[in-house]
Amino acid sequence: MAEIVGGFLVPHDPVMFVARDAAPADQAERVWGAFENCAERLAASGATTAVIVGNDHYMLFGTTCLPKYCIATGHVEGPLDQLPGLKREQIANNEALATAIAEHGAEFGFDWAVARSFTTDHAFSIPYQLIVQRAAELSGREIKAVPVYLASAVDPFITTHRARELGEQIRAAVLAFEGDDKVAFIGSGGISHWVGTKESGQVNEEFDRYIIDLCCTMNIDALVALGDDEILARGGNGAMEIRNFICAMAASGAARGELVEYQPVPAWVTGLGLIELRV
Amino acid sequence: MKRDVLERVLWNLSVDRFSKVKFKENPTQFLSRFPLGAEDVRMILEFDVKGLQEAGVSPLLTMGYWIEMSPERQMSTYNRKLGSESGFSGSIKG
Repeated sequence: MAEIVGGFLVPHDPVMFVARDAAPADQAERVWGAFENCAERLAASGATTAVIVGNDHYMLFGTTCLPKYCIATGHVEGPLDQLPGLKREQIANNEALATAIAEHGAEFGFDWAVARSFTTDHAFSIPYQLIVQRAAELSGREIKAVPVYLASAVDPFITTHRARELGEQIRAAVLAFEGDDKVAFIGSGGISHWVGTKESGQVNEEFDRYIIDLCCTMNIDALVALGDDEILARGGNGAMEIRNFICAMAASGAARGELVEYQPVPAWVTGLGLIELRV
Repeated sequence: MKRDVLERVLWNLSVDRFSKVKFKENPTQFLSRFPLGAEDVRMILEFDVKGLQEAGVSPLLTMGYWIEMSPERQMSTYNRKLGSESGFSGSIKG
């Protein structure tokens, strides 16, 4: 049977790529180094598949259909929004596991939207290329990746409660999967950032450290209880991506989180927190 | 105008290559295929991102359409139009 080996909560900040030199050198070095550190940890975990929980930014899904949650079960490529140093490429999906998650969901009350051929955006591709692909290079073994997309940036949002339930369903599906896969979960997003609003460029370190504490103590109850108004006021519209954290945390069943790095970087418009989920 | 049509137009202008070409060729004609009011058309043509957000349009779309279609793509100008003093100029969605 498949085994869950842990996971990570990491940001997916595209400004790191388009304005590399905008951040103070020390902060930039720490953040890029933290991604490398996560890759080393993923390589050491023995993971053979990473399920990356991200969200669309009103690019992949348009006004004609806005799914609450979607899983790619077949061909995957991306990102759609290429960046300097983040080029579009074909991605090795674990199609059997992704299909099993969708089918398990159908049986237990989770009607997944399914993408048969999917193009990711940076929410998937930044952690994929910086952590998963890099871990594959370091370990010398293939690590496949399953894209899961939640409605965390475009309303109607998935509720925090449902994000947790979805994570628990993914976990149950993985543990029931007949294979020798070793699975890690990556929650992609956050922490505080304001996207496209007049507050863009602000970072709320106090809020970020509060969220980091909840993640490291695996206090999913408190994360779920956060109201949208509070998240928007304290962390900005980008912090709604905490939903991705909740889903990945619930899926991992981790005992605790360990802070890898936190840097508040207004020049990169984000409070950047990287946490390892340890089972 | 209701938010839904404004968002459809701005989504097209953010990600759809054909729509971008048609808008650049003749913006008024491109917009005429949508049920937009005169104020809606003005906001889109003048890149009035503040007005569009006040009409309920997602900031992800006002930023995406600004980056893709505005003559001046600087985010510092975008921020000024929103009433912000932010000097942030990174031009990307996040």
